[in-house]
Amino acid sequence: MSTPSTSGHLSGESFRVDVDRRDDSAVVRLIGSCEMLEAERLTECMVTLAQESMKVIAVDLSQLDFIESTGLGAIIAGHLRLRHHQGELRLVGPQKPILRLLELTRLTQLFHVYPSVEAALAGSR
Amino acid sequence: MKEITVPNDLSAAKQPEDLILEELSRCGYDQNVSFAIKLALEEAMTNAFRHGNKCDPCKCIHVRYAITPERIEIEVGDEGEGFCPDEVPDPTLPEFIDRPHGRGIMLMKAYLDEVTYGDNGTRVRLVKVNNKQES
Repeated sequence: MSTPSTSGHLSGESFRVDVDRRDDSAVVRLIGSCEMLEAERLTECMVTLAQESMKVIAVDLSQLDFIESTGLGAIIAGHLRLRHHQGELRLVGPQKPILRLLELTRLTQLFHVYPSVEAALAGSR
Repeated sequence: MKEITVPNDLSAAKQPEDLILEELSRCGYDQNVSFAIKLALEEAMTNAFRHGNKCDPCKCIHVRYAITPERIEIEVGDEGEGFCPDEVPDPTLPEFIDRPHGRGIMLMKAYLDEVTYGDNGTRVRLVKVNNKQES
């Protein structure tokens, strides 16, 4: 996987990550099915992005069909790295099965979940 | 039970998953069940690859499964030294909530009817019952 560029993506057969940088924030769109093979590449992507001095990373889950625990760990790894410089990772629009996964793991207590990318970037729920 | 052994490699670990998901579809299981089994299998195979076999390419992962319209039973075994699943901390506790790892067993238990370990923790048995069967 290459380092995400200003607007870039990492792509597997059934999973894609689109990164859209906007000044001091970024939108990361997870598209398709994040399985065990892709999850480790997602970790690299999230950590690389979080190392930049972003204030907010909005992770758009609205087109994500599946994610397992390593993929959830990738999002958490990005959150931990972002927290080093007082940045915040926010989740956007998960479909029902993904929301259930977030609730079961209680990650909804760790992350704010927003209905849209715009709301997430603005911090308004 | 059907059996498949794959090399300790995450790409190869997809083979049993694909076979099992195809069979679930043939048996008429719905998307919710497929999601649960896919998730549990990914967690079990990742644990076998990483924690059991310690990413050793010389080792293998052993999968056995039996699927009927009433019930799904899967066993995943590794060639590692084993572990004590009771010693794995609850990842939903506040002190562990922001750890990137350690949710696999919890997720398997949340989505399945039975998750039991045998052979000193080197084998996990996963069971899901079809609750939509008419009595």
